[in-house]
Amino acid sequence: MSVIETKSLTKVFPGDVRAVDGIDFQVNAGEIFAFLGPNGAGKTTTIKMLNTLIPPTSGSATVAGFDVVKNPAEVRKRIGYAAQDVGVDEQATGRENLTLYGHFYRLDGKTIRQRVKEIFDLVGLTGYEDKMVSTYSGGMRKRLDLAMGLIHQPQVIFLDEPTTGLDPQTRAHLWDYINNLAKTMGVAIFLTTHYMEEADRLADRIAIIDLGKIMTMGTSDDLKKSIGGDVVTLTPCVQKDEECKEFVRRTEAVLSGQPFVTEMKPSDGELAVYVNDGGSAIPSIMQIMNSQGIEVKSISMARPSLDDVFLKYTGRTIRAQEGERTTFAQLRRRASRRQK
Amino acid sequence: MMNVLTDTWHIVVRGLRSRIRMPVFIFMSLFQPVLWLLLFTQIFNKSFGSMPGVDYTFRDFFTAGVVVMTVLFGSAFAGFGLLMMMDMGILAKMLATPVTRVSIILGQVIAAVAVSIVQAVIIFVIAAIMGVHVATGVPGVLLALFIVALLGLAFAAFSNGLALLVKRQETVMATTNLFTMPLMFLSSTMMPSQALPAWLNTVRQFNPVDYAVVGVRGLVLEGYVWSDLWRSLVVLGALAVVAVAFATLMFRKQAE
Repeated sequence: MSVIETKSLTKVFPGDVRAVDGIDFQVNAGEIFAFLGPNGAGKTTTIKMLNTLIPPTSGSATVAGFDVVKNPAEVRKRIGYAAQDVGVDEQATGRENLTLYGHFYRLDGKTIRQRVKEIFDLVGLTGYEDKMVSTYSGGMRKRLDLAMGLIHQPQVIFLDEPTTGLDPQTRAHLWDYINNLAKTMGVAIFLTTHYMEEADRLADRIAIIDLGKIMTMGTSDDLKKSIGGDVVTLTPCVQKDEECKEFVRRTEAVLSGQPFVTEMKPSDGELAVYVNDGGSAIPSIMQIMNSQGIEVKSISMARPSLDDVFLKYTGRTIRAQEGERTTFAQLRRRASRRQK
Repeated sequence: MMNVLTDTWHIVVRGLRSRIRMPVFIFMSLFQPVLWLLLFTQIFNKSFGSMPGVDYTFRDFFTAGVVVMTVLFGSAFAGFGLLMMMDMGILAKMLATPVTRVSIILGQVIAAVAVSIVQAVIIFVIAAIMGVHVATGVPGVLLALFIVALLGLAFAAFSNGLALLVKRQETVMATTNLFTMPLMFLSSTMMPSQALPAWLNTVRQFNPVDYAVVGVRGLVLEGYVWSDLWRSLVVLGALAVVAVAFATLMFRKQAE
């Protein structure tokens, strides 16, 4: 049974910016589904259409069986939402934050008290119920933020960049909690991320999104297999200048048509060569490069990663995108976290 | 409808709670009015008594003005709370819940007015300690608080609507500063009407602050001057309704 279903979902912002450009997908009950893509790919816009914060320009979406445009009130009763910004009240305790949301979801006082206890336990904040949120660490705030969308036992949880800005250890912890949620509550989780590892570790299925379009979709293994074989990465030079681009062009030219090469993808300063068997391809590649007098600074081989999948379907690496477009709000939050 | 009331109540509680936990702000915004009350009465008392047609002290005369000023300043910056909620992602998170939309804006406005009414009470207490005698006693003070509550409601709602319209703290700050001071001076707050130039007496009839000052001052100095009181209540009540409608409309537009 699918709890999220979209048909040609589209959002066009003023100035003809097609933030989300006709996407179709389904998320099943109890499934963790990830949107993987760089900043500005349309991930947050998609979440905001699904959780009724903004209306789609065209197309349709149902969440928990209700149309997001025709019946937003019913959708809101059945979803939880944690944005990239942690929307918790710092001048209140954890319990007060959670209780407020319990009231918003129309739960009675007794149910709220009971659920608060359970949920604090679930997200590992037991003992901090009556501490002010201003004394919480970044990871604790994020967990409380998550908890606030769980009190009414939703069918779908939307997590927008759940671990952005957290340190690696906190991130790993949070992954455990999210996994735990899906297992214990049987809730569908729709999350967006630009971290390969996050999508790889958490998601049952991944959709790779870029420029508002879903480029490909499937389990992590399926996506990696779709690349076929190994990836040999050639780095002709260190600096990414014109000369370097020329190297990439020449290398691509000499290697194209070789029987062992299945596909090639140039990106800035690198050339990814997809081969069936990396071990035997590398000597051949080196031989060809030497005979053509092209100097290779470095060569490496890897089993395909999601980054390779991303490169194959978008022509860009997601690593190059990471951290480039940091918003002012993110910077401010980081600064405030450092002060504590 | 029931949901609107309970949601509004919870938002008001949230607003009051966070303000009470930062009492420094409540007292900081009280500092200026108290200073005016203490200082201006010292400066003007002597010359004020020699004015024709004046049979009260400047201290008694100015109490109403300071009470109104306290509520005006307390509520005119209410929009900042909403902008902070927007910037911190609190609002977006709330809007993804079934909370009734109008409750968020009503709750914000009511919490701001409630705090400024508490401040007004503090001013009345300080005035009483300074020896100001309110002609209508405690019932008069309660009516005075109701009048300034309407003024507060109007300005808090307007401030929230403005915040939603421009969405920038700096712009809201500049705009609010631009109109609060002139509103104080283009009224009979500082001087009785007979001491004001004719043009100012015309202008002040379009100034909501003046209606609040005239109503409250009547209660402090004279008694129940019902002609003035009704005029204040009707004008300020109408203004409050318009401002709340404006804020709600802005919120609907921005939230959906």
